Amino acid sequence: MGFGNLRSAAGLRLLNDFLADKSYIEGYVPSQADIAVFEALSTPPPADLFHALRWYNHIKSYEKQKASLPGVKKALGKYGPADVEDSTGATTDSKDDDDIDLFGSDEEEESEESKRLREERLAQYESKKSKKPTLIAKSSILLDVKPWDDETDMAKLEECVRSIQADGLVWGSSKLVPVGYGIKKLQIQCVVEDDKVGTDMLEEKITAFEDYVQSMDVAAFNKI
Amino acid sequence: MSAAAGPGLEELILLETLLGLKKGNKYSVREERKIPVLQTNNGSSLTGLTTIATHLVKQAKKEQLLGSTAEEKAIVQQWLEYRVTQIAGHSNKEDIRIILKDLNLYLEDKVYLARNNFTLADILMYYGLHHIIAELTVQEKEKYLNVSRWFNHIQHYPGIRQHLSNVVFMKNRLYTNAH
Repeated sequence: MGFGNLRSAAGLRLLNDFLADKSYIEGYVPSQADIAVFEALSTPPPADLFHALRWYNHIKSYEKQKASLPGVKKALGKYGPADVEDSTGATTDSKDDDDIDLFGSDEEEESEESKRLREERLAQYESKKSKKPTLIAKSSILLDVKPWDDETDMAKLEECVRSIQADGLVWGSSKLVPVGYGIKKLQIQCVVEDDKVGTDMLEEKITAFEDYVQSMDVAAFNKI
Repeated sequence: MSAAAGPGLEELILLETLLGLKKGNKYSVREERKIPVLQTNNGSSLTGLTTIATHLVKQAKKEQLLGSTAEEKAIVQQWLEYRVTQIAGHSNKEDIRIILKDLNLYLEDKVYLARNNFTLADILMYYGLHHIIAELTVQEKEKYLNVSRWFNHIQHYPGIRQHLSNVVFMKNRLYTNAH
């Protein structure tokens, strides 16, 4: 977890996105988590990142009570979106490296050492990552399939819809919902893997049974 | 205290509990326009949602809920007025859309209605908006992102929600390019 480098524009943008639907870094009250991130920022976020700026100004108003806020301060890497690493500290170091180098030879050795260390850590991280099973994003979709008229054979229609098969697509329960004038629509549930099946593809395949299907709508779409 | 109490009354009873006041205030409702009335102990009566709410806050000695600076007090009054004039009784879609749009814009750079402090304005707006927000679709909740954030924040404030339903907000955004 982390926001990348909080002193860079990209890190601030991550913070901004993270705070778009949250008032605080953690939970629903100001805590040491807010103070930790607040102190990592050297200046207020720019005005166009208004979510980050709103949070910054709000936390600033707690400046006098900041010691009494609940929680324990943790490393910056413990906060924020799960898929980003913290690198706020790292870049301040590299900034120092940019300074005029008085002891050239020393520095080179050191950087080689740190380079080796970094590669080692990267390799470790990669192997750890590859061991972790990748999470498959799935969605549950509720489809409304409408027939042409009351004479359309709904059983046949359902059969047609269920005959569509694709990798990562599982059909669930279905029911007929009366629309009016004796016409019923088919409401059918399915679970798809986001990467493999899209609603466009479903719509294309279902509306291909044009003898039975007049139109198709996505009634509900939920990520699982 | 029955379920038959009008919308304004229910809010006042919720507020009473939130403030930790003893039950026993006598409320009634003006028939024709459903304005709540409070019978005070010394025989006089108070009329109107925000008047009674302000009185209850003072009775509970929680004056900070009315704002601490002159400006904050004014902002609290502004939103209490908005609550009574704009939200009460309005249930047509167009009005709701305008309210949510206004509020969304206003809350963009604020955590609470009165900037950095939790006030009576947040409480009454929360109670007043609860039935509206509860009926929003996932897409609308995302569209009014700032309102959703504020609402979700307020409903987690200790003691405020009581028996009201917890409105669920998605953790991941579905409609990422809908801004």
